[in-house]
Amino acid sequence: MSGATTKSGAAAVSKRKHQDNADQSKKRRKSGGAEADDASETINPKAQLEKLESEILESRKHFNNIVTLLELSRKESQDENSDLAATETLCRVFLQLLAMRNLVQKKDALEKEATVIRWLRERLADYRDVLLSMFQSDNLANSALMQAMALMKAESQYLDDRPEAVFPRYFFVDIVSAIITSPVEELREQFSEAFVDKYDDIRFYTFDSIAHFLRAKKQADQSVNTAFEMLIGIQDPPSSNDEIDKFYINPPSKKKHPLRSLSQHKKQAQEAWLALMHFGLTRDQKKKVLAVVSNSIAPWFTQPELLMDFLTDCYNSGGSISLLALSGVFYLIRERNLDYPEFYTKLYSLLDADLLHSKHRSRFFRLLETFLSSSHLPAVMVASFIKRLARLALNAPPSAIVMIVPWFYNLFKRHPLTTFMMHRVSRTPEEKELYETEGLVDPFLPNEQNPMETHAIDSCLWEIVQLQSHYHPNVATIAKIIGEQFTKQAYNTEDFLDHSYSSLFEAEMNKEVKKPPVVEFMIPKHIFTKADTVTGETDSLLVNLWDFGSS
Amino acid sequence: MAGSQLKRLKASLKEQGIIGPQKSKKQKRQNAQDAKASTDKRVQRHEALASIREQFNPFQFKTSARGPKFEVTTNKPVTAKEAMGINGRPGITKAMGEERRRETLLVEMQQRNKVGGLIDRRFGENNPNMSLEDKMIERYTREQQRAHKKNSMFDLEDDDESKGGLTHMGRSLFDDDDNDVPMKDDFEGEELPSDEDDEDVRATQRALKRQRLEEVLDAAEELDEEQPQRKKTKKEIYEEIIAKSKLHKLERQEAKDEDTELRQELDKQLPELQRLLFSRNLPANKQDDKPQLLIAGKEKAAFDKDYDLEVKKLINDTRAAPTDRLKKEEEVAEEQANRLKELEEKRLKRMRGEPVSDDEDEEDEKKKKKKGGDDDEDFDMEDEDVNEFGLGEGIKYRPTATELGFDDEDDFLIDDDLVASGSELEFDSDDIEDGKESVEGESGSDQEEEDDDDDEFTKGLLTEAESKDSIFQMPTNTKGNDKDGIPFTFPCPQTYDEVVAVFKDIEVPKLPIAVQRIRALYHPKLGPQNKEKLGNFASALVRHLQYLGDRSEQSWLPALEAITRHIHSLAKSFPIEVAKSYRAVIQEMEQQRPLALTVGDLVTLTAVGTTFPTSDHFHQVVTPAMLVIARYLGQKIPQSLPDYATGTYLSILALQYQHFSKRYVPELMNFSLNTLCALSSTKPSSHLGFFPIHDPVPGIRLSKSSSSSEVSEIRKLTFQDCSQPSTPLTPSQSLSLKLSLLNTTLTLLKSASETWHKLSSFTETFSPALKVLQQLSFPSPLISPKISDLSTSLSRLLQIAKLSRRPLELHHHRPLQIKTYIPKFEDSFDPNKHYDPDRERAEMAKLKKEHKREKKGALRELRKDNAFMARENLRVKKIKDEAYHVWEKRTKAMIQGEAGQQANQYERERKARKNKR
Repeated sequence: MSGATTKSGAAAVSKRKHQDNADQSKKRRKSGGAEADDASETINPKAQLEKLESEILESRKHFNNIVTLLELSRKESQDENSDLAATETLCRVFLQLLAMRNLVQKKDALEKEATVIRWLRERLADYRDVLLSMFQSDNLANSALMQAMALMKAESQYLDDRPEAVFPRYFFVDIVSAIITSPVEELREQFSEAFVDKYDDIRFYTFDSIAHFLRAKKQADQSVNTAFEMLIGIQDPPSSNDEIDKFYINPPSKKKHPLRSLSQHKKQAQEAWLALMHFGLTRDQKKKVLAVVSNSIAPWFTQPELLMDFLTDCYNSGGSISLLALSGVFYLIRERNLDYPEFYTKLYSLLDADLLHSKHRSRFFRLLETFLSSSHLPAVMVASFIKRLARLALNAPPSAIVMIVPWFYNLFKRHPLTTFMMHRVSRTPEEKELYETEGLVDPFLPNEQNPMETHAIDSCLWEIVQLQSHYHPNVATIAKIIGEQFTKQAYNTEDFLDHSYSSLFEAEMNKEVKKPPVVEFMIPKHIFTKADTVTGETDSLLVNLWDFGSS
Repeated sequence: MAGSQLKRLKASLKEQGIIGPQKSKKQKRQNAQDAKASTDKRVQRHEALASIREQFNPFQFKTSARGPKFEVTTNKPVTAKEAMGINGRPGITKAMGEERRRETLLVEMQQRNKVGGLIDRRFGENNPNMSLEDKMIERYTREQQRAHKKNSMFDLEDDDESKGGLTHMGRSLFDDDDNDVPMKDDFEGEELPSDEDDEDVRATQRALKRQRLEEVLDAAEELDEEQPQRKKTKKEIYEEIIAKSKLHKLERQEAKDEDTELRQELDKQLPELQRLLFSRNLPANKQDDKPQLLIAGKEKAAFDKDYDLEVKKLINDTRAAPTDRLKKEEEVAEEQANRLKELEEKRLKRMRGEPVSDDEDEEDEKKKKKKGGDDDEDFDMEDEDVNEFGLGEGIKYRPTATELGFDDEDDFLIDDDLVASGSELEFDSDDIEDGKESVEGESGSDQEEEDDDDDEFTKGLLTEAESKDSIFQMPTNTKGNDKDGIPFTFPCPQTYDEVVAVFKDIEVPKLPIAVQRIRALYHPKLGPQNKEKLGNFASALVRHLQYLGDRSEQSWLPALEAITRHIHSLAKSFPIEVAKSYRAVIQEMEQQRPLALTVGDLVTLTAVGTTFPTSDHFHQVVTPAMLVIARYLGQKIPQSLPDYATGTYLSILALQYQHFSKRYVPELMNFSLNTLCALSSTKPSSHLGFFPIHDPVPGIRLSKSSSSSEVSEIRKLTFQDCSQPSTPLTPSQSLSLKLSLLNTTLTLLKSASETWHKLSSFTETFSPALKVLQQLSFPSPLISPKISDLSTSLSRLLQIAKLSRRPLELHHHRPLQIKTYIPKFEDSFDPNKHYDPDRERAEMAKLKKEHKREKKGALRELRKDNAFMARENLRVKKIKDEAYHVWEKRTKAMIQGEAGQQANQYERERKARKNKR
């Protein structure tokens, strides 16, 4: 910069600013009056912006135009497009300035020079603030994000005189915080789609920033929830160091750099999650976490044991959360050799009245199938599970019955001792006589907590026999398999897991009516009305119990 | 026959009489004299010797070392040869092969490298059996014939000229067939083409043959006469047999002729007989006597035509059959009972999920069709039955048709109260009539005229029985509307929109009348399109029922019932249309409001339950309907009292669906117990059972403080309770609703327990119910007696269930056979046969084998050919060499002779010179 302008730099700036402001306000007024109906009007501010931009880039004399632009972009106006245009111009300006290394602080620089650089840096900070504030606006947020990211990239390369790019961590923390606090849902989507999912370094620093943000928080509020949403949206971890190869900002050349190490990535993720869990989770959040814990969250942890307490707490809390926590617990058991005392007792207690009505039913059953697939389990315990589920099936929807009966079949095949539950011939005549005179009380103890002591193996599956006369023909047919010869090796339970009322109904409706359906051969004389007592007819149950207005 | 080869030879020679004791000179002389006999004898001797040679040549036969493979029993004497099992005669075959080669290969060899040449086509040239004279004669006749036949050299028509046509290398260009065949002597084959067509020759030949035969026969007769006592030869015996059989044949022929004659006579009499047979049924046929009388006088064509017509008539005539005997009452009753029994059996079969056999189904369909068509008659008869049996008293050993509600639609008018109750409702008919008239104003008159015609048409068309039937009885004044303001004629609505349009001006309670009129107007008997129209109407009506249900008022229910029954009776004729329509409505419920069913849905589901057999294992309409019900019961978490009411209605409906088949509905138990828990004044403290409990919305529980005095009586639930009330219920209203909900649920549980008391897990199903009743409190004096009643009945049933419970014994199956993998054994295994199950592979193997065999054969033949050719060449060479040697010898000898002579001469000369000297 020449000395002429720097002498009274601030004054000149302010003056020009004032002028420009006046200009601008004039224009505003104009354009405010005629809005967008006149094309020439809208071009004018653009032309002005272009002029400002080219002037800045032309010579240092016009650096004060930056302030004008900042003013323009900061202005609260109805026409957001003009704001946008101003910020875009600013973005271009700064990118170019950065590329021209105008913002690099040199050690041997003159004082004047240093002042200008300092001043420029301050303006750059101003511009950042403008961008971050734009994150709050519905329309501008997305483009602001793109500008911010572009700016960040340029900064990382040109802000310092270093040969290697440095990730501008603090700026990124600000960006992430702004994203979290922003009310714009699309912004987060855009961010995770275009950056977090794409670039490994962005993900790395996002974890870092979220952790940073959360640690700074004193108490939970809405932003914690959004942070949670962001974290849960992050995909599964890469499987090895080699897979970390997509970088937004030029990657560090060092091989040992944390950005290149998977364990460091995981560590960041773990930090973020722990920071989040520090606030405690709501019930819904817990459900969400538990639904993906074994697939998406636990793999991010370098020490999944840290999740142990959380998972066991959830597992013990009962209800659907228990069902969901099971997969996490199982993950720990499998991966970390977690020793869960009385696991099967706990599992047995999960088989409560709501289980077969739960929407997590099939998920639970996949796991249950895994747990009971060992042929080394005691038959007594397996029998308890079978009997308990059979009891539950008495009050279960058809889709659940369809699911458990083939599974029973597989268990019977695997544990032949349990087949006594289907076929128990009384050996002695005394026994037979006892049955004749006193009947039989089911020896099964439904309220016993320990599956080893329920006496289920001495019981019989009357429940399933009753379901052989279920109202739904397919269910009835499936229930009949326990009475037929066990010729099949095993049923593929997966085929039976995902059914519901509507899927069963759809299956029925998909059958085309080709054959004329059978019609009741008698036309009832009375449907809603009372039967004549004279003819000796009896009222139907419906008429007996319901008032149809006649009588 | 033991002994050495030589001894055996001698013996056999002696046996044949070739060698024997020496003959005397006299005998020899005699033999010599009898020249003819001697030639005979020589031939005989020759033959005998050949056979002996054959017999003693061990290489003559190829035999199998082990003897014959299979033992064969025959009536022929078994010779030693046969006993040995001869496989082939190598000597003979070899000779034959040699001969054949000589005929073919040798000729080819000789003709090789030779072009042209002469083929001797002279007749009989190569025939050794013809004497020279015969040959000459034959040639002469042929020449003559040819000359005789051929008149013109350029006669193209003459096709027996093939031999003189174009030839190449001595062969005809046109007869491709003979290409492979070596040239034959023309005379050898009788099938000479030139001979073939030659009729004259053949005729003469035949004549000659006959002549010769006659001569021979004459001679034989003469012989017979000469020696009558001679023993008959075999030939004679056969001839006799043939003669006899011919005689028999003739006799049979005669008998047959006689029979046919007789039959023809009878046939002539048949028409008269037929007339006698059919004249009773056909008075018109009496006219036929006249033409019959006039046959002679009539033209033949006319008569024939009449006759044909008559035959046609006869063909179309129904056969004479005895008229159906009028059945006795018992028989009719029995038939009816049987029919019901059959239907019931079928229902049970369907309930068990067994397939109803196809022909049964067809029968069913036939019956249905019959019903569609003739039901009026059927039911007429039934009505008679009813009248007759209606008088009877005492033990009813069979349910009458009306008691079973078996009557079809015809019953609707008899059911007077439907109409009568409708007329009780007052409505200002004027308004409606005005509206109606303005609508129908223009088209009215035209239509009515048509309808008049229609009416007449109907009257003519319908049988007596039908026209007597109430449904077809048109009100006499077809013009305008009746006193209720319902027009007598309607267009037949085809779509739901049309139904709405047609029925919009008609008071709902009067709708059944309108429906009935439409059904009568468009009865399938009255027009060919009516069937389709009514089908569409039926399906539209199903939708309308749901629509009406949604807007229903208490007073509409009889009308809804009547419409339901109309749909039911339409469903008998149009099962597919109605079923599809119901399914569409059900699907709409499931997709749009599975957990918010409306009153219309309830009505529809009720209608489904009555129209279709709910006891079936699977039914296209009932199963989806049941699923919809179960879904509501299972998944709906009731938010208000109407939800509970709807659920309760559906529970009742579900139980009624399963009333007959007694199938278990888990959702019903869940919902009912939940309702009880929700309505109880306290929250259940402990574990009640394995049914899920939903905490009720505040305000549902019966409050302890509420004084039961507000409600003096427990009312029944109505459809109004199912829909959200427009104004919030007053406390007393809601209390009464709660109480009636409780009451209904309790009663429902009771009847559920009665329905399902036979189920194997009754204890587990209903003990939670008992627990609920015991643990929860329902502070209302009106309810407590009910509760105690249900508790006692439940505990009684539970006790029974406990007593009747036995351990399960589900697997009394026959033990499973262990699968065997032993190979299958063929009883008569033939190693030459391929037992390949793969047909194609077997075929392939067969072909390959054949190919191999053929190849080997061909190779062998080629080798033999080569050997033959070598042999021939050798022979030729030998002959040549021989000739050469001879020539050489002769030449040498000649030269030597000459040289000798010369030497001698020289010697002589020298001696002479010497001597001279």
